[in-house]
Amino acid sequence: MKKESRPADEIALVRQLIAEGSYEQALALLRSQVAPAEDFSVQAKAARLVSKIPASALGKPVRVALLASSTLDQFSDLLKLWLAFEGFAAEIWIASFDTMHAQVLDKDSELYRFQPDVIWLFNTHRDVRIEVALGDTSGVGAAVAAAVAGRTSLWNALKANCSAAILDNNADIPVSDVLGNFAGQAAWSRRNLLRRFNLELAAAAPSGVTIVDFEHLSSEYGKRGWVDRRYWYHSKHAINFQAQGAVAFVGARTIGAMKGLAKKCVVLDLDNTLWGGVIGDDGIEGIRLGVGADGEAYVDIQLWARSLKERGIILAVCSKNEHDIAKDAFERHPDMQLKFDDIAVFRANWENKADNIRYIAETLNIGLDSLVFVDDNPVERNLVRQNLRMVAVPELPEDPAEYLSAIEAELYFETVSFSHEDTERSGFYRDNAARAAQMATFTDQGEYLTYLDQAAEAGDLDRVNLARMAQLVNKSNQFNLTTIRYTESELIHLAAETGSRVRYYRLTDRYGDNGLISVVVLKKIGQDVLEVDLWVMSCRVLARTMEEFIFNDIVEVARTLGCGVVLGRFRPTAKNKLVARLYERLGLTKVSESAEETVWQLALDSDLGARKTYVAAAHVKHGELADA
Amino acid sequence: MLKREEVVDRLNHIFRDIFDDDDICVTDNTAAADIEGWDSLAHITLILGVEREFRMKMTAAEVGSLKNVGQMIDLIVARG
Repeated sequence: MKKESRPADEIALVRQLIAEGSYEQALALLRSQVAPAEDFSVQAKAARLVSKIPASALGKPVRVALLASSTLDQFSDLLKLWLAFEGFAAEIWIASFDTMHAQVLDKDSELYRFQPDVIWLFNTHRDVRIEVALGDTSGVGAAVAAAVAGRTSLWNALKANCSAAILDNNADIPVSDVLGNFAGQAAWSRRNLLRRFNLELAAAAPSGVTIVDFEHLSSEYGKRGWVDRRYWYHSKHAINFQAQGAVAFVGARTIGAMKGLAKKCVVLDLDNTLWGGVIGDDGIEGIRLGVGADGEAYVDIQLWARSLKERGIILAVCSKNEHDIAKDAFERHPDMQLKFDDIAVFRANWENKADNIRYIAETLNIGLDSLVFVDDNPVERNLVRQNLRMVAVPELPEDPAEYLSAIEAELYFETVSFSHEDTERSGFYRDNAARAAQMATFTDQGEYLTYLDQAAEAGDLDRVNLARMAQLVNKSNQFNLTTIRYTESELIHLAAETGSRVRYYRLTDRYGDNGLISVVVLKKIGQDVLEVDLWVMSCRVLARTMEEFIFNDIVEVARTLGCGVVLGRFRPTAKNKLVARLYERLGLTKVSESAEETVWQLALDSDLGARKTYVAAAHVKHGELADA
Repeated sequence: MLKREEVVDRLNHIFRDIFDDDDICVTDNTAAADIEGWDSLAHITLILGVEREFRMKMTAAEVGSLKNVGQMIDLIVARG
């Protein structure tokens, strides 16, 4: 990527903006000046500048505990910096050197008193003790299993003692090895033991534990430079300072992904982004795709987009073109890897791109901050940056051969889980387009909903659905009454409490399966009140009377638990206006109102009966959580 | 070879930046106790800043043994 020189006056400007209290601008400017691979001194300086910004201006609070047998003070500063760029006001606590086991195993330790949201076991290869005698191939399996068991016992203790999300590093396999090349062949060599350890560690990680792939990070950085031995000997720094920014960035993006900040959709330009040349001028025969060096690069870009789609990222197109000509390329060019059907929203016209992108976000019902806009044209990129600050716009190099590394370096699409729903998401959005077309043929909403033939399944939290439920809880912003976030382990804890219910809802209809689309957390307060602690729903299924179905189910639960009152809260955020009047619509009465929240309730004895819904009950389960 | 005055000048920039104090003027005798915030952590940030500024590398032993700015300058001049 082309690197502009970084004049000192940019930093002076950041300083001035902070002094003036223009924190958001200061952060944005600083972010544009600092990359994760930037020199440590520059990042440390950025960290010092950011430390002058009050926590309340940095964003959502997050408490992170770091535990290690290496020195993490400088790393902690960088992590705080990258978390600030991610929108978090981080408070970081570092356990005393080499006290990981004691802190984790003692339930009254400082670690738990700190009440972390995230616990990062900052292990390195030095912390992996595997004892196998030279040449002892038969002892390898048991030795590796024992080392993995050491880690799982730490995770289990953490999960028993608190509900923080857990990060743990796998082994960054060192370059030095007395066996030389043969180390790659002998099962008992340190190198191969660590390789095997890494694979088994990954396989052993339960939900709620995220492995930070140190082996990959060290390879990506360059293993020869990954450890600066001088600072290991001098002060027990396990990673070169120059590599720490990249690690902090991955950590911050991962924590962001846990909290629902990863991107959901890529908006792609066409000419010179998905193929070389201009389709309107050069025609299908003239664009460069599949043939020639840059033609092959464009094929790879399309393949990349297609694999993103397969893992659940939505694709959209925003291009200055005649719609039919652009579409024709998708349908007729033999080397197109993307098909017209892969694109959820296709905007090829002559309107300005900021408006088109806004339209795309509205159509998909997702926030602008869930979008990444990829365009080769710096003028378009800047226009979008200026008009839609929330949209991520990666800087692209001139050469299409380098597009992918530039985009991938931004780690937009980090995830800590993968659910079946992810693979089908694009299909959901396409089915929605079909529904929209069908709806247009009905004049009456009720007729349309009857035609849709909807059936929903409701159930209590179970293992199968846990990952998707946590994902929905943490990613939903619009249909979200209280915007409380729970990790997987917190959900399990909640579900196990007496008088609490953690329920999911799945919806199918004539066009197919909509998947798991809603989660509620219900808590019994005292003897008589059931509070809706959390209610999120996918916006894909809005206006389908699913809300009514769910609320009827909540009322059922209340009756089962012997409650006479259902209580609900609405806590306004920048994004959830959609549900500001939901409880009113469902027939609840407003009890109180303040800037922070409105509180609603329904007395079951005065309830007029179930709310009208066009969703039939497919399978309603009321059961205690057995073993999630 | 680098002149001591030039080294002092460039060191002053690094010190002012890291310790966030535009009034710092280091001399040969300036030591950790003279500058607020110059603890073992800041020391490493300082050394890394010096290594970057003068495009040099100190040995592990040198990182730990520098007692004052004068020794730092000696080292920089010797390597420069």
